[in-house]
Amino acid sequence: MSGVADVAERHLPDPAWSVARPFWEGCRAGELRIPRCDRCGRWVWYPAPLCPDCGGEHHVWTATAGRATLFTWVTVRRAFLPGYRAPYVTALVALAEDPRVRLATFLRDIPTRGLRAGMPVELLFETVSEHLTLPAFRCVG
Amino acid sequence: MGLARRIAIVGVGETRYERRATRDLASLRCEASRAALADAGLAAAAVDGLIVPGSGYAELHELARDLGMRGQFHAASCFHSGTAVVAAPLEAALAIEGGLAHTVLCCQGVAWGSERRGNVGQPHAEMRMKAAFEIPFGWYPQVVHFAGMARRHMELYGTTEAQLGAVAVACRRHAALHDNAILATEPLELDGYLASPYLAEPFRSADCCLVNDGAGAFVMTSLERARELRADPVVVLGVGCGVVPDGEYSSLREDYLATAAVHSAPRAFAMAGIEPADVDFVALYDNFTALVIQQLEDMGFCARGEGGPFVEGGRIELGGALPVNPSGGQLAQAFVFSVNHVVETVRQLRGDAGARQVADAEVGVVTGYTGAQHATLVLGRG
Repeated sequence: MSGVADVAERHLPDPAWSVARPFWEGCRAGELRIPRCDRCGRWVWYPAPLCPDCGGEHHVWTATAGRATLFTWVTVRRAFLPGYRAPYVTALVALAEDPRVRLATFLRDIPTRGLRAGMPVELLFETVSEHLTLPAFRCVG
Repeated sequence: MGLARRIAIVGVGETRYERRATRDLASLRCEASRAALADAGLAAAAVDGLIVPGSGYAELHELARDLGMRGQFHAASCFHSGTAVVAAPLEAALAIEGGLAHTVLCCQGVAWGSERRGNVGQPHAEMRMKAAFEIPFGWYPQVVHFAGMARRHMELYGTTEAQLGAVAVACRRHAALHDNAILATEPLELDGYLASPYLAEPFRSADCCLVNDGAGAFVMTSLERARELRADPVVVLGVGCGVVPDGEYSSLREDYLATAAVHSAPRAFAMAGIEPADVDFVALYDNFTALVIQQLEDMGFCARGEGGPFVEGGRIELGGALPVNPSGGQLAQAFVFSVNHVVETVRQLRGDAGARQVADAEVGVVTGYTGAQHATLVLGRG
């Protein structure tokens, strides 16, 4: 994976943290799952106890299509964390299902003509270890 | 409104600002506080209200003990470090008007230059959602968060790197006129800015605030008492606080580029009975250049998207239509959570700013910022 020099040193999520565990289970199963309020259908991101629209308490981790648009990005020229190798492009992408759901992600397959807000991006998965798979997005079209 | 023109700032003090001080944070806070009290002509025993934003419980009481505050005092601060210094006059006015205190000292300092452990983003790394969903994807630390906002601003409004640079250059030129500014002797012009390497594109190091040691403090009391203490008290004309509703995670804010200045500034201006056009200079929280542009828009000095052109052509430099950060600010003087901005604004309004003096300065505005929070303070010549 470009941008990553050493997995052992890298800050990685705890796949056992109960609040986020379904997200990492989804990634290992090849699905990007986001909690969705089962009362009103609102996507609730980040995971939260209550739906911001209707106050519903029951949220179902729901697979998304993995399509998104580029919202903003930063080309990091100096790695700020151990285990990373600059340069890398980190970005926020807005999910097609609800653009209010933005995900921080590494951006892959950067086109030579450069990046523009609104560009389509698509999901891929990168295996870090047998316990952890991370989502990423690549530029398409 | 009820709290306008009720209290005044009667004393200000600062330490030397240094990349690395030889003393610890407690000593720096003591020195700044004693300087502010001396400037006010007050003994520590006169202080019965204390605001030390971001300090731990133990540090707050150590400062009170070290200064010699032997009596009962009222302690407050419900806002976070970057906002709390600028919100302090609101809390002080409430305490003084409510009869809880007569004289309130606010002190802020950092020793990140010498006490730095790991990355200055460490508090963010301890937030669980960031730890799970942002940091593993490189969305960290703050320079990345704010560079992302700058990029979005550039994409939506055509803001340029030269416009970010105009903010950095203005602050650096102002710092050159200050005898207590860390970058006073390191000049920067636009061509040098543009030629410097990127750190987190579009930001270069000159877009980022300093990491340093130092402290500042100021003393507030009722306007009546202030007039007995000195001929030139600086009056709190208005102060407002605001929050954005989407919480701490900037990545998820519905209006990604709006700071809570969209709430705090109208409140402060309404309390003061002024419009942006009445302001002679501003001292804006400047952790990164782009946040200055965002605040100028959010506070109504220009429309959304027009902040880039607004900062060009010397408009925000001394002698321009709206001087911004005349001390050099946190980009070029020192990063101390805006307490240097309060001290500088008081000196400007007293007419004590020497070579940096804004001509005929009668109304100055200071801001403080912490992610979801913002405070706007309108100060006026007494």
